[in-house]
Amino acid sequence: MIVQTALLVGLVLFSVLAILLRDLLKSAISLAAASLFLGIIFFRMNAPYAGVFEISVVAGLITVLFILTIALTKAGDEVRESRAVNWVFPLFFVAFIIIDALVMKGLLRKIPALASGAETGTFGDVLWKGRTFDLVGQIAVILAGVFAVLALFRKGDKHD
Amino acid sequence: MIILFVALPLVVAGILPLVGKVSRRVVPDLLANAALLFLLVYAAIAGRHLIAGGPVLQQLSWFGEPVAIRLALDGFSLLMLLAIALVGLAACLFSIDYMEHYGAKANYYALFLVMIAGMNGLVLATDLFNVYLFMEVAAVASYALVAFGLGRDELEAAFKYLMLSVVATAFILISVAVIFGMTGSLDFAAVAKALQELNAGAAVGVASAFFLMGFGLKAALIPFHAWLPDAHPSAPAPISAVLSGLLIKVSGVYAMTRIFLNVFGLTPALSTVLMSLGALSMVVAAFLALGQKDMKRMLAYSSISQVGYVVLGIGIGTPLGIAGGLFHLFNHALAKGLLFLTSGSVQQATGTRNLDEMGGLAKRMPITAATNLVGALSIAGVPPLNGFWSKLIIIIALVQSGHPVFAVIAVLTSVLTLWYYLLMQRKAFFGKLNEKWAAVKEAPFWMTAATVFLALLCVGIGILFSSTVTTWIQPAADVLADGVHAVIGSWGF
Repeated sequence: MIVQTALLVGLVLFSVLAILLRDLLKSAISLAAASLFLGIIFFRMNAPYAGVFEISVVAGLITVLFILTIALTKAGDEVRESRAVNWVFPLFFVAFIIIDALVMKGLLRKIPALASGAETGTFGDVLWKGRTFDLVGQIAVILAGVFAVLALFRKGDKHD
Repeated sequence: MIILFVALPLVVAGILPLVGKVSRRVVPDLLANAALLFLLVYAAIAGRHLIAGGPVLQQLSWFGEPVAIRLALDGFSLLMLLAIALVGLAACLFSIDYMEHYGAKANYYALFLVMIAGMNGLVLATDLFNVYLFMEVAAVASYALVAFGLGRDELEAAFKYLMLSVVATAFILISVAVIFGMTGSLDFAAVAKALQELNAGAAVGVASAFFLMGFGLKAALIPFHAWLPDAHPSAPAPISAVLSGLLIKVSGVYAMTRIFLNVFGLTPALSTVLMSLGALSMVVAAFLALGQKDMKRMLAYSSISQVGYVVLGIGIGTPLGIAGGLFHLFNHALAKGLLFLTSGSVQQATGTRNLDEMGGLAKRMPITAATNLVGALSIAGVPPLNGFWSKLIIIIALVQSGHPVFAVIAVLTSVLTLWYYLLMQRKAFFGKLNEKWAAVKEAPFWMTAATVFLALLCVGIGILFSSTVTTWIQPAADVLADGVHAVIGSWGF
């Protein structure tokens, strides 16, 4: 229970950081950390498929793409952001927590729990024996992402 | 080896940027077109023999040990593979000359082939999550391709496209999660079987609604169409041709019909919803197209309208209706691909897409004018071109199934379609030559060749429509008309 709570707190904390941090790089890393926590929670809740997807795709692949893109952008002009973000998000966050605390416990009791079972196996089993075609798809997505970055950040080629 | 449809474009895409360092133009041109030509020949010649004895199911193995790559090829997927290869090849040939001034050609072809691989993968997938994943593969490549020109408009259109596309895939993913939660499986056959036994009407209704919103956005059905008239015109012409000709059909119509007809089973309620959405798109988008001044924007609205016909036809649910819908899907892929390519020729020659500024271009670009006319008349449904037959089949199916009102709407929309296409043809190509375009020349060889290739197909299929229907369309329609039995009976691994 303590571990589960700690994981959930970590998840929420890093998610909030991902939104509030101004530095894009730190924000992307916070998002990766959040999804790492979520992936661990999935594994602990006996959902290795979800855990595998969360860690490999969100924490791994997408973070790499984010960081790659951030590395290619120039830290030029300061972009002025709307000040509304500073208070709108915390307001919604607090409101959500209050609603969550009041409603969720009652609501969850009414929903029957799904029978757990079928998906078992190690990380490797799931990825290699269960979802191999997804790996091909993931490779294709990575290729598309890399080519997209190469194409959209190409320099000079057009005008030289 | 049906995995080649996915593996070959991916492998060629992988080596293209490296090859591009050595040869900037010739070798990338050659490699990309050769890969697509191979896929076309493979689909057109080997494909039909492969599925002669029923659907082909392939379980790949890696050094003798089976791995979980399962692909299925049946009449419906083969028709889509053929359409992808045909329009893909035409767009790729067109790119040889057209993409010359954009630069980074090897990179362009690499993205193009990843998009093709994504569409092929989606068509061969036997699993809900694979459908989602390959949809994303094609989508990610297409965002970059829409923005390829790097102009302000292109980037804005790509961003808008990306945002709405993400919403669409979120809906689709929610629905996949609901289905997985209910049935404990993602495999088409297992899900179809479980849903038959579960009898969980309400939950399937929720999943259907989410799928409808997701795939509706992908197919740009009205009211989910807002992104398309920005994204498609902004892309380079060959990409517009692939997006409008193929992508909205593969990741919208194909995925939607495969899941609704073969996995969920078409219920009367779903049939009514599909037909209504189809009719609404057909009519509203035709009126919107009528008011456009931008040539490519008019074509984009026309795509929404014609996808409406396809969904209306398939939504009827009768074998004839499905055959008509699929035939129109195929014909529209060719004709709209052709029209976007000719619009690209015009834009490159004149530097404008504004119809009011054009005029009399037929005198300077006779082949482009003629091929454009073929495409326009085909989509408008003028005999003996291919579009006429597919619309005719849809209208007969509507009358036969007791929907005379929809049939009348379909006929009237066809008149509207002819109206705006004749407007386009007259403003751009006929009449007095605008002084400004006195020095305009016919498009370069490969651009013209690509449009002539598609125009000949439109005419040829129109003349040989009955053999096209029996060899390509009927096997595809049979799969869909078979409903869930097509998957449950023969797709089990």
